[in-house]
Amino acid sequence: MALDRPLEDVVALADLTPERSVKDGVVDFVRHRPLGAIGAAVVLLNILAGVFAGVLAPYDPVATDYAAMLSRPSLAHWLGTDAFGRDVLSRILYGARTAMLVGFAVALVGATVGAVIGVTSAYFGGRIDLAIQRVMDIFLSFPLIILALAMVSILGTGLVNVIVAIMIPLIPRASLVTRSSALAIREMPYVDAARAAGYRHRRIILRHMLPNVMAPYLIMLTAFLGQAILLEASLSFLGLGVAEPTPAWGLMLRGAAVQFAETAPWMAVFPGLAISLAVFAFNLFGDSLRDALDPRLRTQ
Amino acid sequence: MTSFVVKRLLLMIPTLISVAVLVFFLMRIVPGDIVALRFQGESSFASKESLAIERQRLGLDQPIWKQFLVWGGGLLRGDFGTSMWTGAPITEELRLRFALSLQVAVMSTIIAVLIAIPLGVLAALRQDTWVDYAVRIASIAGLATPSFWLGILFILFLLVVFHWLPPMVYTPFWVSPVQNLAQLIWPALAVGYRYSAVATRMTRSAMLEVLREDYIRTARAKGLWQQLILSRHALKNAMLPVLTIIALEFAFLLGGLVVTEQVFNLNGLGQLFVDAVAHRDYTLIQALVMLVAFVFIMVNFFVDLAYALIDPRIRYR
Repeated sequence: MALDRPLEDVVALADLTPERSVKDGVVDFVRHRPLGAIGAAVVLLNILAGVFAGVLAPYDPVATDYAAMLSRPSLAHWLGTDAFGRDVLSRILYGARTAMLVGFAVALVGATVGAVIGVTSAYFGGRIDLAIQRVMDIFLSFPLIILALAMVSILGTGLVNVIVAIMIPLIPRASLVTRSSALAIREMPYVDAARAAGYRHRRIILRHMLPNVMAPYLIMLTAFLGQAILLEASLSFLGLGVAEPTPAWGLMLRGAAVQFAETAPWMAVFPGLAISLAVFAFNLFGDSLRDALDPRLRTQ
Repeated sequence: MTSFVVKRLLLMIPTLISVAVLVFFLMRIVPGDIVALRFQGESSFASKESLAIERQRLGLDQPIWKQFLVWGGGLLRGDFGTSMWTGAPITEELRLRFALSLQVAVMSTIIAVLIAIPLGVLAALRQDTWVDYAVRIASIAGLATPSFWLGILFILFLLVVFHWLPPMVYTPFWVSPVQNLAQLIWPALAVGYRYSAVATRMTRSAMLEVLREDYIRTARAKGLWQQLILSRHALKNAMLPVLTIIALEFAFLLGGLVVTEQVFNLNGLGQLFVDAVAHRDYTLIQALVMLVAFVFIMVNFFVDLAYALIDPRIRYR
């Protein structure tokens, strides 16, 4: 099939994916999508806050100080303290670590597993495709949080369990998106060539097809980051996510934050601001990345 | 049309069955068994005998296919079984709480539509101006703001400014509409804003697409008023995808309420679900997940019907 294609066609195909350096891409992105670049900058700040929480945080995030209970924002405690006298700023910085850990773990593993399932499904086609898609469809008829909560009821709470509980409902979504682009790739001459060369299915799927669904994969990945952080915050807020005393944004909004809303509003305001800002930045970045990578998806 | 309805209804049967199978077996992939796990969750000591008694009471000593048939048969009769935690019939519990959650869901939908459609249309008409940017940023922010935090902020605002808290006890609408709305408007607003974000984006992009169509240009060339073009030509055609997203979000609203109900101390389905997860009440979780999926499938069905009714271009056989 590849041979009866006119040469110009093959050249045109190659032109669609020109070799560009990463630096060029970044410069282009910043220039044409300032909002996305702002998002990326905030994302970077969040990651740095998470990584260097130990250096940046002025206090131990779990150290209680009953002398400084519910103190308002001041020079000593920039964002005030909570009902146990714990420094809110330090807890938010360490909370970034939890949020980024959950976000990246969920997004990376979830999008990758979903992509492998989607591409496999598209590659084999026929009954296998139909069966896989049916199962995925069923998963898609539940809201994310309902499935995540059901998973928590099975796995229990705690950091690792929460990561798995959030990841599983996202996998079908990733498989759906990657499958549709893999369907087109399956018809590409190079896949035929690989098949003709006698490669095994696994090699064709992993080495020839998977790298070519990079655009939808990256789009999914960034979309998942925001969703995962939001879901983790929701679960932790319900007391069904990360467990005390681990600093987590959702956890900080739980219980005392509402109870002391009138006397210590900083407890309720700042952690929520941290969640919104992080998710907002990820979404902004993800949206721009989507526009840059795949103009066809823009209307969604 | 009738045959289409019948066909769609029949198609729902395998979907519902597979959802039931998934939900049932999902609850049984637990390593060990759910009775042991539940007792362990209570961190109390349980003897082998009491575990066996509990297992027998719940019918878990039966082979798994038989358990499924008993549960499935119950579902067909609208019987969700009994709660593992309280031993009370689940159907009764659901009925008590459904009204509240449904009311909040409907109110959020109305709020979302009232925000989303005007803003989405405005953003599309003023594409790439500051109005458009403001609407887009507001809707991305809406997606990023957790509705439970927004709820907390509402409470904070009411407390600080008015020294007033929404009533904590649920009053049915027909008993006292004022009391009822005073309590439920806040969660509805918190959820509705987030919900409107999705719909605003959809309205905007659908409008942009329609405004580029030839028939809009023709209408403009004819010299029709802008308002007439908008209402009769553009909006009508842009509404289909918007309708879909609103309906699907409505189905998912039951999920969004899970967290927000907690903030406002509402005794709805969401609270029930959270309690069920906290107590590892697997029969109750099973019932609630099934209920949510059922609502989703039903909404999908009605969306398909609405499509066929609204859009004469779509003909179903």
